[in-house]
Amino acid sequence: MTPPSARRHVARLKRAMLRDAVAENLAIIEGLPKRRTHRVPRNSWLWWIPVTVVALGILVGTLKPTAAGRGRPQPDESVATGVAVRQDAERAKPEQLPMLSAPRAVDPATFRLAVRRVVVDPGHGGNDPGAMTRGMREKDLTLDVARRLNAALRAVGFEVVMTREGDETVSLHQRVVAANDAHGDLFLSIHVNSIPTPVRRGVETYVLGTTSDPRVEKLAGAENSGSGYSLADFRRLLEGVLIDVRHDESRRFAQKVQNHMFAALRRSNPELEDRSVKQAPFVVLVGTEMPGVLAEVSCLSNPEDTLLLKDGNYRQSIAEALAAGVRDYAASRERATAVARRGPGAL
Amino acid sequence: MTKEKNNALHLGIDLGTSRSSVSASNGQHHVVESYIGWPVDMVARKLIKKPVLFGHEALENRPMLDLHRPLERGLIKEGSEKDELAVRELIRHLISLVEPQSNQKVLAVVGVPAEALRVSKQHLRNAVKGVADALMIVSEPFAVAYGMDALLHTMIIDIGAGTTDFCVMNGRYPTEEDQRTLTNAGDSVDEQLATMLRARVPEAQFSIHMVRSWKEQWSFVGEPPRAVEVTVPVNGKPTVIDITADMRRACESLLPPIVETMLDLVSRVDPEYQEKVRRNVILAGGGSQIPRLSEALEGALADVGGGHVRAVEDPVFAGSKGSLAIALDAPESDWERLPG
Repeated sequence: MTPPSARRHVARLKRAMLRDAVAENLAIIEGLPKRRTHRVPRNSWLWWIPVTVVALGILVGTLKPTAAGRGRPQPDESVATGVAVRQDAERAKPEQLPMLSAPRAVDPATFRLAVRRVVVDPGHGGNDPGAMTRGMREKDLTLDVARRLNAALRAVGFEVVMTREGDETVSLHQRVVAANDAHGDLFLSIHVNSIPTPVRRGVETYVLGTTSDPRVEKLAGAENSGSGYSLADFRRLLEGVLIDVRHDESRRFAQKVQNHMFAALRRSNPELEDRSVKQAPFVVLVGTEMPGVLAEVSCLSNPEDTLLLKDGNYRQSIAEALAAGVRDYAASRERATAVARRGPGAL
Repeated sequence: MTKEKNNALHLGIDLGTSRSSVSASNGQHHVVESYIGWPVDMVARKLIKKPVLFGHEALENRPMLDLHRPLERGLIKEGSEKDELAVRELIRHLISLVEPQSNQKVLAVVGVPAEALRVSKQHLRNAVKGVADALMIVSEPFAVAYGMDALLHTMIIDIGAGTTDFCVMNGRYPTEEDQRTLTNAGDSVDEQLATMLRARVPEAQFSIHMVRSWKEQWSFVGEPPRAVEVTVPVNGKPTVIDITADMRRACESLLPPIVETMLDLVSRVDPEYQEKVRRNVILAGGGSQIPRLSEALEGALADVGGGHVRAVEDPVFAGSKGSLAIALDAPESDWERLPG
């Protein structure tokens, strides 16, 4: 039996909470911010620093001439959002390639502070099998690893958007549009390598950039096949992208992915080479508006790697290593956010 | 509960990712699976003979339907008119189930996943426009706490299908700082289980709906209470597969993020009251019924001084009954300010 004084106390609490619930609903109806009902910590003004920086960054970003335009706005900058790109794609004649716009150079402060939604891109698919050997096809392997990665990331609280869910043909442009439409915080494209020298094996992670390595050029050519973009298109796009903070963040993300892949897979594959983080002009990394990497998770051209890839446990290890890379990068962003919140002198 | 004020019917609705329930002041209560489907074409319309199907009926006829589960991952999909329409239709359907009289005002409190209220409150409000005479939206864990009078020094952990919502009740209306949402919930367990089975028995044929029903029957954490065996077609031949270890691993995947969030929220409570909160952890939602989950969470609390975790007695209706309690307590003057 609850004492009357306790019942009165609960009734008082309920009345106060009901008032706040009604106030919140009225604020929603009127489109107003929610009424704050708790005491504000004395140092709460510190929270406004990153918020203000982000707001200023967005404002400055919309006013300043971009590096891509070198002082004047580019005609295709207005289609930088995924929605606009899709509308363009819908309007385009069949033989006309949709415009792939270079994302604008942005202030680092405009990047979202937390990593929440990860776009996972299983390479190839449908009519495009990718590399093939001994009855194994790159498109099947990338999808399998992507599904496992999806589960692993969801299990630790990330949202995951897949650019393809099954064995379907998805153009590189559609992948880019899907990633941008999903407003992903990170983009991770999964591929399986095929190296001309079959004894070589290893893992490597790519970020967007130019390359003078003929092998990497060839690899990018193979992965970009069917995109229809010319070298001149790339040069124009890369001018706008390379100075972008996205590139720095992509490099950090790539390094985390590469470290985890190599460390994890070496346990069951002692001959594995760390083929490091490299840069190459992959189409899927050009148009995506978030930090993005392309991971070559094994070598189908190597017989031992092929055997290992047949094993579901090995593919699970690859997925878990990629997930660990995402987690590690996300944690580093959170640490950076915490430092920013503490304000100047925190370090 | 049969309180009638000025010929109004008060409703509490728990709009969940997987199941939605309604409790009404006329004593009726119902639950439906949160699926809404529209016939895909003329042929389907002729066969189904209904403009829209709900719940189990929609799921059963899914090949002929444009099927929607509008609050997947605890959020209404932004910009998806069909999902907004699905939310509206689902609430209309729930209201029709409790049979309001034609001259009765319908005053409804709708509990939604905390994340949906935080992220898409305007969308939700738009989606529910016009379904009742007056309507209030609250977060599900708050509704559960309100219905149980657990308003002080209590933590509600509502493990649904799309999200796990945490809410610390400090004797005030919960703010964003008092709440957390994880996407580790029933659906992520299903996905994990399906992925593990596909990897172990690649030839086995099963759907995510089958996996969900296995989980609902045989989920557990800790030592297995019994062997979990299911029969699925393998290369077309019905085959018994032991999924005990997979079930355990999939269900236990919920533990690390839930424990971490629970301990983090406890550590943010005024130190004077942390022990009280630890001793008052309430599990709600379908996930609260996973055998031995309470004990596993109590084990984690033992490392920080011990605590007590209990599950609500009626996980299906705890949210809608809490929302109904709010609806009945709200004064008429407030309802007049909250159009439906």
